[in-house]
Amino acid sequence: MTRDHIFTVLKSNLEKVVDGARGKEVSEAQSLLKDFGADSLEVVEVVSRTMKELKLKIPRTALSEANDIGQLVDLFVRAAEAA
Amino acid sequence: MLSNPPRTCAAVTGLGVTCPIGESTAEYLRSLTSGRSGIRRWLDVDERVLSRVGGDMSDFDLDAHFGRHEGRYAEACLKRARRSLRATPLAAKLTASAAMQAFADAGLMGDVVDPHRIGHVLGGHNLQLRYQHDNFETFREEPDFIDPLFGLMALDTDVLSVTSEVLGIKGTTMTVGAACASGNLALLAGLDLVRSGRADVVLVTGAAMDLDAVWLQGWTIMEALAYRSFNDEPTRASRPFDRRREGFVPSVGAGAVVLESPAHAHARGATAHAELLGAYATSAASRSTRPDLDTQVLAMRGALNDAGVTADQIDYVNAHATSTLLGDAIEVAALKAALERRAFRIPVNSTKSMLGHCLTSASVLELVATILQIEHRFVHPTINLEEPDPELDLDFVPGKARPHSIQLAMSNAFGFGGLNSSVIVGRARD
Repeated sequence: MTRDHIFTVLKSNLEKVVDGARGKEVSEAQSLLKDFGADSLEVVEVVSRTMKELKLKIPRTALSEANDIGQLVDLFVRAAEAA
Repeated sequence: MLSNPPRTCAAVTGLGVTCPIGESTAEYLRSLTSGRSGIRRWLDVDERVLSRVGGDMSDFDLDAHFGRHEGRYAEACLKRARRSLRATPLAAKLTASAAMQAFADAGLMGDVVDPHRIGHVLGGHNLQLRYQHDNFETFREEPDFIDPLFGLMALDTDVLSVTSEVLGIKGTTMTVGAACASGNLALLAGLDLVRSGRADVVLVTGAAMDLDAVWLQGWTIMEALAYRSFNDEPTRASRPFDRRREGFVPSVGAGAVVLESPAHAHARGATAHAELLGAYATSAASRSTRPDLDTQVLAMRGALNDAGVTADQIDYVNAHATSTLLGDAIEVAALKAALERRAFRIPVNSTKSMLGHCLTSASVLELVATILQIEHRFVHPTINLEEPDPELDLDFVPGKARPHSIQLAMSNAFGFGGLNSSVIVGRARD
């Protein structure tokens, strides 16, 4: 599972769930909360959908460490390596 | 108990349905007129469940539904609906879409009434059964993969709240639960909100109950469902008052009506479809599924009294009539006791013969059916009444619709656990 693939799935779910992300450029440097106006439940939904689609688990306690999309992708990459 | 003076009525200014025989009141009316059944084989229910037929809405397409109603909804409302209902389970989609129709029909799109003066009473409970079942299955495989919003969307009140969100309702909102009488009890509560002046407008929704395999099997084991003879002939399975009836046929659908104080409706120039004149409910003080004759009679008499009318003024009954052996027989006996000789002179039909039993939403859908019959001066057929039960000898309108002028109608609903209710609705006065 490549980093690009993880980013593509995450981006797709971001666009499905968060109104503010539709039709916008998405980069790893951006924040779900600050740049796209997602609320906390929407962040949970984006992450959970991505976990289910990729069949990867990220510890819920680790999510608060991710400050931007890139760091969130890092968590998925680590989970994929450990799987 | 039965000596109260008649109270104020509520104008019914909006109607909406999303159910197996219509995703609009126009389509619903066509089905009622033509006697079309909405029962088919379940599309996706565990093959081990004995009962194989029902009113299945699992293939409901929200975008296609909105396409059917293009131009009816305010842009902001439609935008909220698309966003809020996107990932929402079926029961909420069906309920909110019926409510949107009723709101548009009442001319309430576009913030024309102070939203703090609009209430919402949702009739129903145990609504998201299939959604819960699916998530329990997922949990068994992997707890982290359940729907991330399960803790919110599995609540019955989420159906209430998401519907209120779509429509911007900010007054008193609540759910009312009374098994298969939930819709009528919600109408009773809505009528009381209007009468008391707590609200000028009250949306009453009969919320869809999305069924799962465990519940279907549970009712089958209790011998409540039709499952012996008609699994391969779904449209013939629901047959109220027929000698071969063998249980109810469950169905998934939602209905909605807008109740409004007559003065408020008049002041804003709204047109009333009908008037909700009275409602009454009784308990048999029993958890039993066995219908109780005496308290059913008291519910009907109480509703007449609440409306300030007599049995001789009623010229049509929309019966609860679920197609169970005992239920249909006891309701007929209760009608004879409550309406006396009048029961033999007026049509009594069963919407469930076509629609199946929508459980918690049934009585709101049946109120809509009753109002459409009042407005269009006809009575719809009780389909599948091919071999009359000799014990049941009222005019059940077998097989075919016919013209009939209705001034005042009664609609009954009875639920497991001795929950009895009746409402009285009348033609709108000029």
